[in-house]
Amino acid sequence: MNPARCLLQCGDEGAILLSYLDRQLDSDSMAALDRHVAQCPDCARVVESQRAVWQALDAYEPVRISADFDEQVMARIAAERPWWVRVVDSPWLGGGGSWWKVAMPLTAACLALFAVVAVWKVGDAPLRPPAAAMDSAEVQQVEDALADVEMLRQLGVTEEARQL
Amino acid sequence: MALPPITATYSSPDQPAPAADAELMLRVRDGDTAAFALLLERYRTPVVGFLFRMVQHQGVAEELGQETFLRVYRARATYEQTAKFTTWLFRIATHLALNWLRDHKGEKAQESLDEEVSEGLSRQAVDRAPTTEQVMVAESRLHQVRLAVRRLTEKQRAAVMMHKYREMEYSQIARALECSESAVKSLLFRAYETLRSHLAHLDGNRQG
Repeated sequence: MNPARCLLQCGDEGAILLSYLDRQLDSDSMAALDRHVAQCPDCARVVESQRAVWQALDAYEPVRISADFDEQVMARIAAERPWWVRVVDSPWLGGGGSWWKVAMPLTAACLALFAVVAVWKVGDAPLRPPAAAMDSAEVQQVEDALADVEMLRQLGVTEEARQL
Repeated sequence: MALPPITATYSSPDQPAPAADAELMLRVRDGDTAAFALLLERYRTPVVGFLFRMVQHQGVAEELGQETFLRVYRARATYEQTAKFTTWLFRIATHLALNWLRDHKGEKAQESLDEEVSEGLSRQAVDRAPTTEQVMVAESRLHQVRLAVRRLTEKQRAAVMMHKYREMEYSQIARALECSESAVKSLLFRAYETLRSHLAHLDGNRQG
């Protein structure tokens, strides 16, 4: 950078001017440009107008944020979480902590053990042949029912023949 | 591990230590929603303020602000500790704002702002008890600032908002806008040139 040159004629897309306005140049360069601006009306005008712009922008205060902003964000996050995470994190399960990281594998292990025991118990039980399960009274009931159905079918046919 | 106390960030945006933000994000990555709530508390005002100045609409700014934090949460697993949290945060906010501005180009979405801004000024006016004339001067001044900001391109606007209100370095703005540092300087120079041509007459005597 050549401090002797006018800030407005640097031809560097305003990089030096911007850095000068931001006070981001090294101390020697800043001092040289300060001296130049003190003597150059055009540069002094730019510096002054930039100061006015920054002051004007200070007036651009945002309005206040809604009181429930955080709650809305957290609600949207909660809505995206899987149902089982929401259940284990719910307050009635003491939610929020990481206890479920221990509880989940433990529960899975218990379920697996239960399944093994259930299969073992079922395998241990004596199997009855279906035929042996029916006694003579049940056989008689089935035969009676079939006879009734046959009788009703014949009655239905004769009734339809009479109507014709 | 005890966390450093949370400080107000809007009035002194560079105060929070980057390490503290990164620490919180790592906790968020591990499923700690309380850590996320702390980040939300810390950065909600700067983010919504930035978005408000970008889109010039309070409701839209809050909606985009919520979306920004939602995306931070969704992307928690991919957060890299090497990247400064605020740079990452404002890159997300900038993308959302630029997309919204692109999608709503030409719409008169700012109309409702007039009432909101007036309400805000009136509220401040009550707090500080200025005269009616001072309120009118302040409203006129703000109106001119808003008009001047609207004359900037979307990227110029984003660069100015990060430079002026967040005091971000050129390199940080470049990362947020995904362009080179020299491009940022060029954007800022042209933006301030435009603002100077429209706002320079507003001298430092703010209260008229």
